[in-house]
Amino acid sequence: MTGPYASAPYAIRDDLAAAHARAWSRIARPGTWWDGTARVAIAAEARNAPSCTLCRRRKEALTPLSIEGTHDSLDRLPEIVVEVVHRVRTDPGRLGERWYRDVIASGLTEEQYVEIVSVAAHTVAIDTMARGLGIDVLPLPDPKPGSPTHYRPEAAKPGGAWVPWVEPADAGEVEAGIYPSDRLPANIMKAMSLVPAEVRSFFDLVTHQYLPGEVMRDFSREYRAISHAQIELLAARVSALNRCLY
Amino acid sequence: MLLRASGRTYDKTYDLAAVTGTPESDGGVPHGRLLVAFAEAVLGDDDAALARTRDALTMALGPPGLVDAAGVVGLFNAIDRVADATGIPLEPEKEAASADFRAALDLDRFAVVDRS
Repeated sequence: MTGPYASAPYAIRDDLAAAHARAWSRIARPGTWWDGTARVAIAAEARNAPSCTLCRRRKEALTPLSIEGTHDSLDRLPEIVVEVVHRVRTDPGRLGERWYRDVIASGLTEEQYVEIVSVAAHTVAIDTMARGLGIDVLPLPDPKPGSPTHYRPEAAKPGGAWVPWVEPADAGEVEAGIYPSDRLPANIMKAMSLVPAEVRSFFDLVTHQYLPGEVMRDFSREYRAISHAQIELLAARVSALNRCLY
Repeated sequence: MLLRASGRTYDKTYDLAAVTGTPESDGGVPHGRLLVAFAEAVLGDDDAALARTRDALTMALGPPGLVDAAGVVGLFNAIDRVADATGIPLEPEKEAASADFRAALDLDRFAVVDRS
């Protein structure tokens, strides 16, 4: 076995290990709205969040925002970014639109917000798998130099979500390929389309850590060591534990 | 919803209550009880329980099964965060197709639209 899991006690599929290596490499590079240093800091803060005292007190409270205080952070990011990373990491099932609007009013742009959510989600996906396997989390990558592209899709507009998104019919050249061509995209694909590079990156993980889109509903054969039914039971139980209706 | 669709393909009826944590049953899914326990342990704080469940799952499904199960738990732990942090709604077709079991399992209390 080679790659990031060369010393793991279990054989991890090569395609899955390679997907994790690609995700780490992308996090290290400048993104669309954050540079590599900030992106790696976001990933580090996502790891740090579960040990935050404020987050723990809020998690235990009936109303999370009734508890005031300062996050236990790594001091590498602005406080509003830490607030987003910690809430998304530790209590996502109680995020509300009013909180989101307050975050944006505090100075983050919607594009910056989406990229923060994406980097935190990448980290959660990879770290949670490591916890499941009982192995050490992968060391975070070293940031790469360079500047963000600052690309915002012209066609992005308010849709059904809190954040603006790109409808498939409006997707331009840069957005080409972020959606399937043979069916309408699920809202989870549109969710981060304000930052198309993050859709591509996150769904690279989805393809290898779950299933490729084109076989999710192909029940005529199995594609993993566990069946479709076993996969979907796990997915549904995780979503219920996270209080996520979607 | 894909769990139900999978069952229809194989003419099986899965007990969707397993989704909300029914420890006495597999819900009709092979090793379903163990898989549910594994998901709960990974997202929980009890490391000893996780180690026991991991060992049991490895015995039942083999190391490749454990790896894929851990991958799915990790991925959906992330997908849920993307969904909740961006405030996406259920698609109309999914909303209609899942109305009965959402009501039966009281899952609508998690709807993002109701959060202030």
